[in-house]
Amino acid sequence: MSHEAVLHGHESHGHDDHGHHEHHDTFLTKYVFSQDHKMIAKQFLITGMVWAVLGGLMSVLFRLQLGYPDASFPWLESILGKWAKGGQITPEAYYALVTTHGTVLVFFVLTAGLSGTFANFLIPLQIGARDMASPFMNMLSYWFFFSASIVMLSSLFVETGPFSGGWTAYPPLSALHDASPGSKTGMDLWIIAMALFVVSSLLGGLNYIATILNMRTKGMSMTRLPLSIWALFFTAVLGVLSFPVLLSGLILLIFDRNFGTSFYLSDIFVNGVGALSNEGGSAILFQHLFWFLGHPEVYIILLPAMGMVSEILSVNSRKPIFGYMAMLGSLFAIAVLAFLVWAHHMFVTGLNPFLGSVFVLLTLLIAVPSAIKVFNWLTTLWRGNIRFTPGMLFAIGFVSLFISGGLTGIWLGNAALDIHLHDTYFVIAHFHIVMGVASMFGMFAGVYHWFPKMYGRYLNNSLGYIHFWVTIAGAYMIFWPMHYEGLAGMPRRYFDFSIWESFKQFADLNRFISTVSMIVFAVQILFLINFFYSIFKGRKVTVQNPWESNTLEWTAPINPGHGNWPGEIPEVHRWPYDYGKDGHDFIPQTTPVGADETGTH
Amino acid sequence: MSTTTTASSNEAKLWGGGKSPFNVEYGKVMMWYFLMSDAFTFGAFLISYGTVRFSTNGWPDPNAVFRSFPFAPEGVHAPLVFVSIMTFILIISSVTMVLAVHAGHNMDKKGVVRNMILTIIGGIAFLSCQAWEWNHLFHEGAWWGMNPFLNADGTASSTNFTNFFFTITGFHGFHVFSGVVINIIMLIMTLTDKFEQRGHYNMIEKAGLYWHFVDLVWVFVFTIFYLL
Amino acid sequence: MSQSHNAHADHGTNDGSAIAEIKKVTIILSVFTIIELMLGFWMIGMPVGALRLAIKGIIVILMMAKAFYIVAYFMHLKHEVKNLIMTIVVPLLLFVWFITAFLWDGNSFKNLRNTYDRHFKEQSTIKVAPKEEEHGEKHTSDEKNEVPAEKH
Repeated sequence: MSHEAVLHGHESHGHDDHGHHEHHDTFLTKYVFSQDHKMIAKQFLITGMVWAVLGGLMSVLFRLQLGYPDASFPWLESILGKWAKGGQITPEAYYALVTTHGTVLVFFVLTAGLSGTFANFLIPLQIGARDMASPFMNMLSYWFFFSASIVMLSSLFVETGPFSGGWTAYPPLSALHDASPGSKTGMDLWIIAMALFVVSSLLGGLNYIATILNMRTKGMSMTRLPLSIWALFFTAVLGVLSFPVLLSGLILLIFDRNFGTSFYLSDIFVNGVGALSNEGGSAILFQHLFWFLGHPEVYIILLPAMGMVSEILSVNSRKPIFGYMAMLGSLFAIAVLAFLVWAHHMFVTGLNPFLGSVFVLLTLLIAVPSAIKVFNWLTTLWRGNIRFTPGMLFAIGFVSLFISGGLTGIWLGNAALDIHLHDTYFVIAHFHIVMGVASMFGMFAGVYHWFPKMYGRYLNNSLGYIHFWVTIAGAYMIFWPMHYEGLAGMPRRYFDFSIWESFKQFADLNRFISTVSMIVFAVQILFLINFFYSIFKGRKVTVQNPWESNTLEWTAPINPGHGNWPGEIPEVHRWPYDYGKDGHDFIPQTTPVGADETGTH
Repeated sequence: MSTTTTASSNEAKLWGGGKSPFNVEYGKVMMWYFLMSDAFTFGAFLISYGTVRFSTNGWPDPNAVFRSFPFAPEGVHAPLVFVSIMTFILIISSVTMVLAVHAGHNMDKKGVVRNMILTIIGGIAFLSCQAWEWNHLFHEGAWWGMNPFLNADGTASSTNFTNFFFTITGFHGFHVFSGVVINIIMLIMTLTDKFEQRGHYNMIEKAGLYWHFVDLVWVFVFTIFYLL
Repeated sequence: MSQSHNAHADHGTNDGSAIAEIKKVTIILSVFTIIELMLGFWMIGMPVGALRLAIKGIIVILMMAKAFYIVAYFMHLKHEVKNLIMTIVVPLLLFVWFITAFLWDGNSFKNLRNTYDRHFKEQSTIKVAPKEEEHGEKHTSDEKNEVPAEKH
C-alpha cells in the first residue's frame, strides 16, 4: 500500500465527499443523524443545556428545603406528588435530588455538554480539518450520550425514585437493593446510564485524539495549535484512560447487586432483613476505583474551560498568550498528576495514613502547574488592550473563580486538615467554585465567544452583561458563606439543620444562600432566552472574523457547510497568538511569515 | 492563498501537519488507543483482584482448584496441564494472526484466508476449553457467590476467589468471543475481495491488533489466576 | 518521511526476515511459558516463604517479558514511529502507581482488620472440614484444630 494513500487517504476522501457541493440532506440526516461535527456539537450543547436546567432546578428545590426547612409549599406537592407530601420535600426525595443534581451536572453537563460541545465544534475548525477522523463514530458518541440521558431521565420517574446514595454511588448504599428506595430500580438505571455514558465518552475521546494527531492541516504543527485544542486533547486522553476504570468498578457493582457476589460487601446488617452472608469484600475498593476515574474527571471538566479561557483571554486582550510552552507543560503536568492523586478524596475512609501522606504530597504538587496557569493568564491580561465582551468577562470570571476555589484546595489536600473539613460545606464550597461554577463560566465564555461561528448571529450583549454580573456576584454570595459553615462543622448531605442546636445560628445564612441561588437560576433562564432568541432573531454576523482572531475557524465562511472550507483547506504559517506584533493588531495563522518580521514563535 | 506560502512550508517534518505524524491511518491510531483504554479496564479488574487478595488473610491454592482435565479418570489430578494447553492455543492463534497480517501486507489473499481460518479455529478452541472448565467448576459447586474451595491453609474462604475468577475470565472470554466474530467478518470480507478492491489489508491489521491484545490479556490472567 | 516509511516497507520486501522474526518470537514465548509452568509445578506444595516469593517474582518478570514480546513484535509496535511508541508506553506507566497504591491499601486494610476486627481475625484461624467426601478422614484432625480458636 502506498505511503501517500496512508497519509492523505482520508483527506482526499473528505474532499470528494464534502468539498464544493452539498449533497441532498434530508431533515433527518442534517439535524438528527448528522455526521457533521458542527451539528453534533450543537446537539451536545442543547442536550447539555436541557440537563443543566434540570440539574439547576433540582438544586433550587433542595436549597428550598435547606433555606426554609419549616415552611410548606403546596405547589411542590402538585409537581412532585408523593415526593413532597404536604408541600415539604421528603428526605428520600431530598437525597434523590442531591444525587441526581451531582451526577447530571458532573457527567451530563460539564463533561458531555462542555467537552462534547467544544471538542466537536473547535477541533476540526481550529486544526483545519474537514471533519472528525470518523464522523460516524462521532455521531454514535452523541447517540450513546442521548440514550444515557434517556435512561437517566427515566430513572426520575420510577416508583421507588432515582438513586439517592450520592453521585459517588458508594456501596453498600448502591450495592444493596434494600439499602434505600433509590437503591432499587433507580440504581439499576443509574448504572446503565453511566455505562452508556462511558461508551459515549470513549467513542468521542478516541475520535478527538485521532483527529488532533492525524488530521491537522499543512503547517499546523503541534506547537502551533491553539491552547483550546491542547486542552481538549488532554481532556480526551484523561477520559480514555480513566472512564474504563469506572466501567470496571460498575461491572463489579452490577455483580454485587444482582449475582450474589461480595466484591464490595462484608459484615453487613440491614434493618428488617438481618445479617447478610456477604463476606470478604471491601467497600473502600469501590471508592478507590471510583476516584481513579473521579479525580481525572475533575480535570476532564476543568481542562476544556482552561483551554478556551486561554484562547479568549488572548484574543480579547489583543496580546499573545503569556508563556505558551509553560501553558502546555502545565496542562501536561495536570493531566499526569490527575491520575496520581485520587485517594485524597478518601483520607477519612480508613486509608493507610502513610499512603495518605504520599497522596498529600502529590496533591499539593498540583498547585504548581495551576499557579503557572493563573500567573500566565494574569500576565496575558496585564497591560492588554482589553475588550470586555461577555465572553471575555466570563473568561476573567473563570480565572477569578479558579483562584478562589483553588486556594481552598490546598487546605483540603492536607490530610490533617481534611479530617476536620471532610464532608462539610467547606468541601461543597471548594469544589463548586473551582470545578462547578468555574467550568460553567468556561462554558459560557465559549458559548458567547463562538456563538457567531455556530449560528452566524450574535448573542445580545446587554443580556450577556446582566447574565455575567448577576452570575458571578451570585456565585460568590452562594458559596463564600459556605466556607464558614463548613469550618463550623456543618456537614453536607444533611436534610434539615434546624434540629441541631449548633447549626441553628446558620438558619438566616442558609435562607440567604437559597434566595440568591433562586435569583442566579432565574438569570440562567435569561441566558437561555437570549440563546434561543438569538439563534433565530439575533443580529446577523456580517464580517468573517468578528473578534479579529487569528485562529483558523474564522477563515471559514460565516455559515460553514459540511466540510468547513469551500475550497482548499487553508495552510498555516504561524502560531495562533500573533496579536500586537510588528505594528499589526493581529496576524491570522494563514498569513505567511514576512521577510522583515521579528522572531516568530 | 498567495504564492509565497510555499516558501515557508519547507519543513516537511513529521509533526508539521498535513499528514499523520505516526505514519499510520487514523483507524489504527484509534485502535491502539482503544486498546490502551481496554487495558485500563482489565487492569482495574486485575488490580481489584490483587487488592482484595492483599486484604484477606487466606486464599485458595490455584493448584488445588484448577486440577482437572477432560476425560481424565476420577481422582487424577493434573494441575496446570489444562490451562497450559489453553495458553498455547491462544499463543498459536496469535502467531497465525501475525501470519495473516503479514500475508495481507504482501497482498497474498490465499495466505490471509488460510491464516484467518486457523486463527478463528484457535479462538473457538480456546472458548470451548473455557466453556468446559467453567462447566466443570460449576459442577464442583463454584459460581458467582459460591465458593466450595478452602484456603490453602485449610480455613474457610470468602466467595471472592470465584467471584473474581468468573468475572475476569468471563470478561476475557467475552473479548475472545468478539475477537472471533470480528475475525469471521474479516474472513468474509477477504473472501468477497473487499480488501483487494481497496488495495490494502489494513482492516486485517486492526483486527490483528485486537486479537493480540486478547492474547496479551490472557498472559496476565493466566499468570495471576493460575500461577501466583 | 521516507525514513519512517521504511519501517512499513521492509515488511513487505524482506519477506524472509519478517517470517524469521515471527518464528523467533513464537519460540521465545513458548519457552517462557514452559519455564513459567515449570516454576508453577515447582511451587506446588512449597511452604510460604522467601523462596516461594522469589519464584513468584520470576514468574511476574517472565509475564512482563512475554507481554513485551507480544506488544513489540506481534502487535508490531517496535517497528512503528518512536512517537507512537511513546504515546502508548508513557501512559502505561500510570499503572505503576495504580498497582502500588491499590495493593498497599489492600494490605493495610488487612492489617487494620487483623488488629481491630476480632471476628475477622478468628475466622482466618479456624480450619474447616473440606466439603468433599473424599477428605472425610480428615474430619477428626480438623475438629482438633478448632480448639485453639476458642482461646480468644
